[in-house]
Formats: sequence, structure tokens, C-alpha cells
Amino acid sequence: MTALIIDDEIQIRRLLRMALESKGYTVRDAETGQLGLQDAVFHKPDVILLDLGLPDMDGVEVLKRLREWSSVPVLILSVRDQEAVKLAAFDAGADDYVSKPFSTAELMARLAAIQRRQGAHDAANLQMGPLVLDPAHHEAALNGQPLKLTPTEYALLAQLVRHAGKIVTLKQLLRAVWGPQAEEQSQYLRVYANHLRKKLEGSSLEIKNEPGIGYRLEET
Amino acid sequence: MNDENRPDPDALLAEMQRDEARVKQGRLFIFLGMCPGVGKTYAMLQAGRQRANEGVGVLVGIVETHGRHETASLLEGMRVLPRKKLEHRGFTLEEFDIDAVLQQRPELVLVDELAHTNVPGSRHAKRYQDVLELIDSGIDVYTTLNVQHIDSQVDIVRQISGVAIQETVPDSILDRAHEIQLIDLSVEKLLERMADGKVYLGERAEEAVSGFFKEGNLTALRELSLRFTAEQVDRHLEDIRRAKRVSSPWKTNARLMVGVGPSPYAESLVRWTRRAATRLNCPWLVVWVEGARVLTPIEQDRLTRCLGLARKLGGEVVSVTGENVSEALLQVARERNVSQIVVGKPEKASMWSKSLADALITGSGDIDVCVVRPLAAADKSRNIVPLQESVSDSIIGEYSWAIVSLFAIASVCWGLVSYTGYMFVALVFLLAVVLAALRFSRGPVLTMATLSALCWNYFFIPPIFTFHISKPEDWIMFGMFFIVALSMGSLTSRLRMREVAERRRLRQTDALLRVTQSAALAAEPAKGLAEALRTINELLNANTALVVREQDRSLPKAAHKASSFQPSPKEWGVVAWSYENKQCAGRYTDTLPESAATWFPLQTATATMGVLGVQFEDTSRLDFVTRQMIEAFALQIALVLEKEHFIQAVSHAEMLSQSEKLHRTLLDSVSHELKTPIAIITAALEGMNGQQKSPYLDEITTATQRLQRVVDSLLQMTQLESDVLKPSLDWCDVRDVISAAQHAVGAPLETHAVKLRLADDFPLLKLDHTLLTQAVANILHNAAIYTPTGTSIDISATLREQQLRLIIRDHGPGLPAGVERRVFEKFFRVEGSPAGGTGLGLAIARGFVQAQGGEITARNHPDGGAEFVIEINRMATFVPTNK
Repeated sequence: MTALIIDDEIQIRRLLRMALESKGYTVRDAETGQLGLQDAVFHKPDVILLDLGLPDMDGVEVLKRLREWSSVPVLILSVRDQEAVKLAAFDAGADDYVSKPFSTAELMARLAAIQRRQGAHDAANLQMGPLVLDPAHHEAALNGQPLKLTPTEYALLAQLVRHAGKIVTLKQLLRAVWGPQAEEQSQYLRVYANHLRKKLEGSSLEIKNEPGIGYRLEET
Repeated sequence: MNDENRPDPDALLAEMQRDEARVKQGRLFIFLGMCPGVGKTYAMLQAGRQRANEGVGVLVGIVETHGRHETASLLEGMRVLPRKKLEHRGFTLEEFDIDAVLQQRPELVLVDELAHTNVPGSRHAKRYQDVLELIDSGIDVYTTLNVQHIDSQVDIVRQISGVAIQETVPDSILDRAHEIQLIDLSVEKLLERMADGKVYLGERAEEAVSGFFKEGNLTALRELSLRFTAEQVDRHLEDIRRAKRVSSPWKTNARLMVGVGPSPYAESLVRWTRRAATRLNCPWLVVWVEGARVLTPIEQDRLTRCLGLARKLGGEVVSVTGENVSEALLQVARERNVSQIVVGKPEKASMWSKSLADALITGSGDIDVCVVRPLAAADKSRNIVPLQESVSDSIIGEYSWAIVSLFAIASVCWGLVSYTGYMFVALVFLLAVVLAALRFSRGPVLTMATLSALCWNYFFIPPIFTFHISKPEDWIMFGMFFIVALSMGSLTSRLRMREVAERRRLRQTDALLRVTQSAALAAEPAKGLAEALRTINELLNANTALVVREQDRSLPKAAHKASSFQPSPKEWGVVAWSYENKQCAGRYTDTLPESAATWFPLQTATATMGVLGVQFEDTSRLDFVTRQMIEAFALQIALVLEKEHFIQAVSHAEMLSQSEKLHRTLLDSVSHELKTPIAIITAALEGMNGQQKSPYLDEITTATQRLQRVVDSLLQMTQLESDVLKPSLDWCDVRDVISAAQHAVGAPLETHAVKLRLADDFPLLKLDHTLLTQAVANILHNAAIYTPTGTSIDISATLREQQLRLIIRDHGPGLPAGVERRVFEKFFRVEGSPAGGTGLGLAIARGFVQAQGGEITARNHPDGGAEFVIEINRMATFVPTNK
């Protein structure tokens, strides 16, 4: 498993390297966007940690160029914590966003989540912890008990489970569940997310709201 | 239509509502009667008293009781405005005091006798103008009016009673009336009341009774007033019907046009057309065809008055130029889709030429021509200088020149005639007439032509020194000479006059172009305006002053520096009036005519940019053409100023966005520099914690967390103060906000129980989630550290009339007395606070709440503990249906 760190701060790079290597990653690093892109081309990392404030170009630009040819999971690591910046990064194809200062434990959990998703696409059954979804019959079970869901609730939950542990933006959810014409109608999403929360109450699963960005289904 | 260019309807609506709030129009109630004595004033006072009893602030502006007891008794207990005293030619006259009313601002003011002419020296010439100003400033007005004073009815009243009414009000004021109440009384009753002496007839009572108050007259007037009211009601009904279905603004596609000239009949034609247009409910135009002929001062005056009347009555005034009046009229009629042309009936048929009416009928095609018998204007022009006096010195000079040169030529020819023969003399005379025609006006030239014919006959055609002509061919020659001289003279002078008129028009067009060019194209706007004003000065032979409004739409203290005169302090009142009322005021107008200059508002479609003042040096009147020209100048200058204003606004906005960008960049780099080291320390600590335990590490961890909180607070505060904060509203669940806030506070809150009270069906709200969460988190953080462990914190949210109230109450010691406001100040800390705070938390909370248009307050709960209330108004809500 190879991780590529693109960050201009040498201390951050060193710390991340230590943390990642302790989890068994092979780590490469680059201090500019240009070098980072080259490294990504030649060494095909399994995951990339990208800073937004790079000396030669903006991190979002690096991400855009990367996405022209690669779908490698990318986690943004930045001091910028405004919603608009986060949304721009997600629109450019980021898989997750952690703002600095960060908790290393959380960072590792997020990294694991975005990599796990990569392989989970083609499974017949969608599963996350105690929750099992059956796409063929649009049925769900929680802790082995059937979970009663309306078709919309099912579609929403399926989206979240498919991206388990990872943020799904409001736009993505709205488009996937209600169709492209509903992209601005976030109020429906809020209502159904609340319904789902109630139904998942008591289990180890939690639908977390990332203000202004989207939702994330997490297992605690 | 391009969608992008279309204004946002919501924005438009909001703008309109704001405008409405700014200038709420007052309502006008008119008590209409057929003649004095029907009880209008009485009815008005009764209605006023009733409103006063309902609790409305009523002021009696001016009421004439004429010594009637019933009326006077109604005044008891009412608030009556003292009259203004004005000195005029040694007399002290009393007048309605409009300034006092505007100052006192009652809700309703009673103003008797709408058609009254104000004492000279008042602000307006007529009382109805006072009333219009009052309703424009938002005050309701009750007033009284007799039907014979309505401008369009004047001619009819004159036909009925033979009395020419001088005091009139334009019909347009009746269109402004919210309600017209007819005060009707049968003729028998009225005559009875008169017999009892209950009707005030003015000083000339006898004359009035015998002339005006005849039973026949009164019946006709009664019919007139009833019919007039019925027409008004009918139009009102029509308005309502039209408002319901959106269609063309006019009932019919009719359009009336009346041609006017400087004749005394023109005014009555205009009135007739207005009446007809009202009945047809259609627009109407008044057309004046400017020919080559220069108008005499009397004609000029008549024309100005007539066109002024047309404007006042609501007609559109069009002036065109053309030699042939009927052709010009027909051209306008076709261009403007006129359905009917109104012309006056010629007084007597002319043998020579077709009358205007005939010419129009011949050429009108499918346009109807309405030939009306006009009434000569009740002779107001009697007091105007008669024609003879107006003959200027230059004309007399021309006559003497013509005669002198004629005799000079005659004497030279006398010497030559023996060599050349008398035929040569005729040619010399003809040459002199033609040359004279190039210089002089028509009269002198025709005189010269006649005289030269006679002279030739007398001195040169044999037998000389007699008018007798012996040879028949000489007779023919003489006749031919006479005709040729006359027609040459007349043709040449007509040609010259046309040229003069053409040159004048060209000069006007050229001036307008020059003003526009100099004002609009100058690199420096101030220079351009100076140039434009200089052009106007030269053209009008007048002084001008330009008053340009300030950025905040108030008037400046001094006129623009390009002005050629500065208005006197008294003149500033006129300037302000013209600016505020968007109307022409000052000399030659009906408003404040005593002032030295005439003031024209610089009005564009959307704004008044200032006022242009023109002070003439010698003219005793402002004719219609000049006035139109000044208005055109004013419009051009206004457009230039408005353009300038927009350019400034745009560059200001650009500057703002630039500085905002700079701020944002600075903030980004500062926050990067501060947060990166903290991130490194945090990450390093975490890495170390995995390997070894040490009390020193715990201390560093706590200190780092504190440092992080301080840095966050400082950055947030900077963000707030640099105005780069823009709330992004989205649908939020208040539960989400509160749980996110709890999560953000973290450890300090773990020792307290947070209880949330919220209705199950609490709707979604449009809020900035991040800002509100941070605000709530800051309050919760304070509550956690200022209250004993184990106490609970209660949060409740309610929504009433779209106002969100979020209450956070703790069960601690509460706030020290007197600091309820100060806790929100920056760096304010309550005495005895635990160490480790910045005093910024609540200031940030307030900033974040205010950024979304809310307010936050603090107080002590009666049962102990502090209570913070966040209120946000005008919340968009979404109530999910149960599906």
C-alpha cells in the first residue's frame, strides 16, 4: 500500500510519514504540486494526501489535473476550513477533507474509509457494520432484523452505505435519489436524513451532518 | 426579451414597497357642489369631526364660515390652523399656511375652496397646488369645489350663465381624488335658503342674484354637476374592471388630436378635446405647427398659455414645424395613429383660400375630422400690451430706410432718365425692391414695392408729374411692374423669413448637440458641465446655476462651481422645493413665482440628479419653445450626471471587491502560519502519546488545545471585523445545529447535562449552519466553564411568526448585575473568571448571529442562572409533510 503526501511543510510530511508507516503504508512525499503530480504518474500511489496551499500551484488545481487521468482516492488536508473551499475541493473530485490541526486517529480512519470504498462497488450485498442492504429486492436489515424503509429512504441509505465513512455531498445525494432537477432542494434531503436517523437510532451507525457540504455515514 | 436583462421581480417589488414607504401618498376627498350655498363646507366639517372622533389627527387648515352659525358651531373644539399674514401693496392679507401644515403633519387637513387663487407672495399661485403638495407629502386632504371651477367645464358654464370664471382647477386634480362626494340640493331648496339669507354671495350680492342665481342657470348647473360626478364614477368603475383583466391601458384605440395656434379660440378647443377624450377614455395630443412667421408678443403669450393649459389638463404637447399647417397636422396624425382631429370652425368663409378645416377634411383619408365651434377666451389678454406698442424700433427704422433709399434712387434716376429712358428706371426700382427684401421684413418691403410703382408712374412715365398714363402699353407695363414688384418683394421676404426660422431651429438643434457633446464626451466631467453651461448661457442670453445632488441624495450647500450665479439663501428654498417635488419652480411658473430664477429638476427616468437654474437678464416671459429647450438641456445634463454616478458606483464596488480579496488572502496566509505549527504540535503529541505516558505531555496537550482555541477565536474575530463574512443560507435542522455545537465544545460539556426542548414537528429553517453552530457553541462553552459541574443546561427553540427564538439557560450563579450588555463586548471578562479565556467568545457569538440578521441578548432568569436568547427574524421555514 503506497501513500503519497503532497505538502510543503517538511514537519507535517515527517509526522505523517511516521504515522502512516506505523500503519504499514509505504510513503512517498513531494513538496510542490508539480513534483506531486510527477510522482503520482510514475509511482501510482494507492492514496494521496494533498495540501491546498502549495507554493507553485493551488491544491484544487493539482486535484483537477490528477482527475484527468486517475481516480486514485484523494484526501485533502488543509488549514482552510470555509465551506466554500471544501465544496470546491469536493467538486474537483476530492474523496474527503480533513482540516488542520487534525487528530491523527481520525485521519487514519478517514483514509481507511476512502480506500475501502474503492473495492466495495461490485458486491452483491451492501454491508456496513450491522446494516445489510439487498439491492435486488430493495430490502434492508439491521442487526438481522428487517428494517422498514420507504423507497426514498432506501435509495438515500444505499447511497450513504455505498460511500460508507466518506462524505457524500448534498448535490450528489440529491441527484442520485431525486434526480438532477432536484439539486437545489436540500430541504427534502434534510427531512429524509432525519427519518433515517430515527430508524438507525440505537445501532452503532450514525448519519453525520457536515454543514453545508453533505452527509457521512459512520460506524462508532 | 433577454432573460438576463430582466430585473428580478422580487427585487423590484421590494424596491417599490420601499419607495411606497418613503413617500406614502395622502388621499384627496373632494366635496363637489353645483354652486355656492349647497352646504359643501358644512358637509366637509361634519365629515372631519367624525374622523376626529374616530381618533384621527384632524387639522382645519382653512375654512370660510362666511358668518354662518351652523358652520361656525362645527368648528368648535376642532384644531384650527392660524392663517399666515402676508404684506401685499401695503395691505395685510391672510392666506392658508401650507408650511405650518407640513411641519405639524396632521393625518388629515381640511382645506376649503380648492379653486382659490393665493395671495401674491405665497408659495403657489393656486390653492390646488398647495393641496397637491400636501397629498404628495402623505397627508390626507378634505376640500370643497364648485363644478363651475373645473377647467374643462368652464366653457359650458359660460354658455349657460354668461359668466366667465377666472378661478379654475385643472381636471387632472380630480383624477387624483380618492373620493368625490357630490353635495346635492334641489333648486327650490337653494333658492329658499338664499331668500333666508343663508347663502353667502360675495360683495356683489345683488348682481349675483340677478345674474348667476337664476332658476334656469341653477338647474343647468345642477345637471352639470350630477353628470360630471356620474362620469367620474363611471371612470372609476372602468378602472376597476380594467385592473381585473390585464389589457391595453385605454378602453378604445381612439386617440384625439387638436391643432392649436396663437388664436384666442385655442384654449376652448383644448378644453373641448379634453372633455371628449375623457368621455372616450383615450389619450389626446395638442399640436402646434410652427410656421415661418414670427409671432407677436401677444400671440406668443396666448400660445404659451394655451400649451400650458394643455399640459395641465393632461394632454401631450407636440410642436412641429411646417409651412403648410394642414399638411403638418395630417402628418403628425398619421405618425401618431390619431383617430380624430379636432379643429375650430372658421369664423367666416373665405373667398380666396380653403379654410384649415376644409384642407384637413380633404386630406384626412380615414381619420375623422371634428369641426368645433370654439369660444373666444374670456378676455384675459385685455391687460396685455396692444400690438402697436410692440412694434419695435427696428421695424420703424426699416420703414424709414426703405422710403429714404427709394427717394434717393428716384433722384439719381431723375438725372439719368434723359440718357436711359424710363424703362431702365423700372428695372432699377425692381432691383432695389429685391435687395430690400433680402434685408427687411415683409411690411417695409411691400410698402416700398407700392411706393416705387407709384413713384415710377408719377415721375417717369410720361406724362410726368401726373398719375395719368397716356399710352396703353405703358398701362400694361405699369400693371406688370406693380405685380412683379409686389410678388418679388413678398416672395423674397417669405424666403428670407423661412431662412431665419430655419436658422433659428438649426441653432437650437446645434445648441442641444453642443450641450450634449460637451457634457457627455469631456474627459473631465466638471469641465464638460462648465462647457455645457457656457453654451446654454450664450444661447439663452441668461445666467445659469447647476445644483448637483450629493452622494446621499441631499442637496449641497453651494451650486456647482461652473454656475454663473449663486442662488441667494431665499432662492435655495425654491431649489429644494423643485428638487423634492421634481417639478419646475420659480419665476414664470405657478410655484414661488416671486423668485429671481426659474429652476428645472434634472430628472431622468429613475432619479433626480439635481436642479438647473436659469436667470434671464431681460425677458419678461418664458415662451414655450425656450422652456422646452431648457427642459431638453436639463434632461441631457441629468443623463450625463447619472452616467457619472453609475461609473462611480461601479468603480467603488470594484474597489470594495479588491480590498475584500486582499483581506481574504491576508487572512488565509495568517491562519496558515498560525495553524500549521499547532497542527504539527498536535500531531506530534498524538504520536508520542501512543508510545509513552508522561504528566508533562498532558500539560503540553492542554496548553496546545487552549492555544488552538485562542487562535481560532482571534481569526474568527478578524474575519468578523474585516466584513469578509458572508452567511450562506441553507436548510438546517435546529437539532443538527445544537448537536454539532455540543460536539464542538467537547470535553468541558461532559460534566453538564444538556436538555433540549423542541417541538417534534419543528420545521427546517434557512440559516447559516456553521455560523449559528459556532455561536451556540461559544455560549455553551461559557455555560460549561462558568457553572458548577453537575448542573444542567436547558436549550429550547420556538418559532413564532417566522421568528426563531433560541434560549440557552444555565443553572449557575448568573451574570453580575449590570453586565448584561457588556458581556458581548470584545475582551470583556466578568470579574473572577477562570483563567484561559480571551473574552472574545460572546463577541463572536453576537457577530455571527448579527451576520444572519439576528440579535442576541443576555439576562438573568428569575429562578436563577443566566439566560441567552438568540432571535432571528423573517426566517424561511419548511414544514415537511407526513409522506
